[in-house]
Amino acid sequence: MRAVRLLLFVVGAAATAYGGWLLLPQLATTLPWLIGGPVLHDVLVAPLVGLAGLTLGRLVTDRLRRAWIAAGLLASVTLLLIAVPLLWRPPSAPPNPGLPDRDYPLGLAVGLAVVWAVIVIVLVVATTVKRGVTDRRTDRP
Amino acid sequence: MIRRPRVPAPEDFTAPSHSPLVAARLGLWLGVAFGLCFGTGLLSHYIQHPPGWFTWPTRPVDLYRITQGVHVLSGVAAIPLLLAKLWSVYPRLFVRPPLRQPIRLPAHALERISVLVLVCAAFFELVTGLFNVAQSYPWGFFFPTAHYAVAWLVAGAVLLHVAVKLPIARAALHTPLRRRRAAARDDRDSSERRAFLRTSAGVAGLAVLATAGVTVPWLRRVSPLAWRSAAGPQGIPINRTAAAARIVVPPDWRLEIVWPGGRHTMSLAELAALPQRTAELPIACVEGWSASAHWTGVPVVQLLRWAGAPTGRPVRFTSLETDGLYAASTLPAAHATDPLTLLALRINGEQLSADHGYPCRLIAASRPGVLQTKWVARLEVLR
Repeated sequence: MRAVRLLLFVVGAAATAYGGWLLLPQLATTLPWLIGGPVLHDVLVAPLVGLAGLTLGRLVTDRLRRAWIAAGLLASVTLLLIAVPLLWRPPSAPPNPGLPDRDYPLGLAVGLAVVWAVIVIVLVVATTVKRGVTDRRTDRP
Repeated sequence: MIRRPRVPAPEDFTAPSHSPLVAARLGLWLGVAFGLCFGTGLLSHYIQHPPGWFTWPTRPVDLYRITQGVHVLSGVAAIPLLLAKLWSVYPRLFVRPPLRQPIRLPAHALERISVLVLVCAAFFELVTGLFNVAQSYPWGFFFPTAHYAVAWLVAGAVLLHVAVKLPIARAALHTPLRRRRAAARDDRDSSERRAFLRTSAGVAGLAVLATAGVTVPWLRRVSPLAWRSAAGPQGIPINRTAAAARIVVPPDWRLEIVWPGGRHTMSLAELAALPQRTAELPIACVEGWSASAHWTGVPVVQLLRWAGAPTGRPVRFTSLETDGLYAASTLPAAHATDPLTLLALRINGEQLSADHGYPCRLIAASRPGVLQTKWVARLEVLR
């Protein structure tokens, strides 16, 4: 394992150095976009996720329900993130007459609606099945 | 009890999703997604800037469509996986440097720096890639070179990260998620770990499904966030219009064919009078979208033979476009001799519209759309 780790280290360091060397001419303009991601995530996104998790834990006590709602939230955030460049074209981006050619707000709305409809159906079915099982158990003498 | 606010420590995070068992598995999945993305991206780079040793096959005709589809979709899948992975290892952000054991400081610093480079570069690649597929460039750098350079940073930092974490990751991957005969508390933790992993994988799949319609024909109507439709004038979407490229076709337009020691010109009517061939070939863009059409035109190899030019050599195609990065492209010898490589005059049975490249355009198998030069004015057979 020592040899493998050493090899990974040498190749990794070489690739990183090569990437850094390639990036050097554009370092000044790319630096804010490089640093922005982790700063935004560590200072804003992750604490918000933690807060949302804590709130969800207080509001919903059933574990199955909580897991599905959390999945729905992650799915919604992912769809929203993918949609950002389609919904928001900063003025600095050159207009392209060939693009965009679809109704993205409608697509996003439909996608989110489908995600939450599936989750509601799953939870309703799961609750019904569970109630049926408990009813049958309590019916028995 | 009053708790004073303080910077949290890793031990404060007790959720099962922060377990190394989860982080290692997410890391493995993310490694696969990034690996696919890097490999296919490197191929696309080499096709557009071929080094001497590089050759790219002409068959299957859909090859570039597939590799570039994998490139953008593995990048899309990596978005939720990266977020889940960062959430899983978030407590590690608050690990204090081992100040009392100076011997461990260099290893700690190396780990921190490699992770910082990795996270910076990974976010950069996913964000810039996502904006590029929407052809939106809200930054001051040149996208292709920056995206390519930072890809090497990601690849290198991933390898460094694996080198640092290999013992922990191996142990975690060899520990099963579901333990038999476990205590009740442990059982609940393991079920929450599995739920977190299932959610991450499921959302990655959903993200792919939501966008794969850009390139997978049977998902066109399913994917709500595919950034391009497959529809457009004459059945194919247009990326760059004739107006945007400021194309004016002169009334006395003639195609110019030059080779070392020879030159030939011909009018559109003469081109149309040559034996034509129809081929179904895809336009496969670097942005990952692709669509097929039936193209009709003169096979380039036949055209060169008819003009008396040598074949079996690379050919440079120059457009009427005067400015712009893709005003010219060099067709490698393998594509220049491929009988399916056409100088197309017609698309789906109609004469090419101005936006599709009238009077004629290059269409070849298994190549990026930006190299399928439109509004062709000149063919130059290279040595």
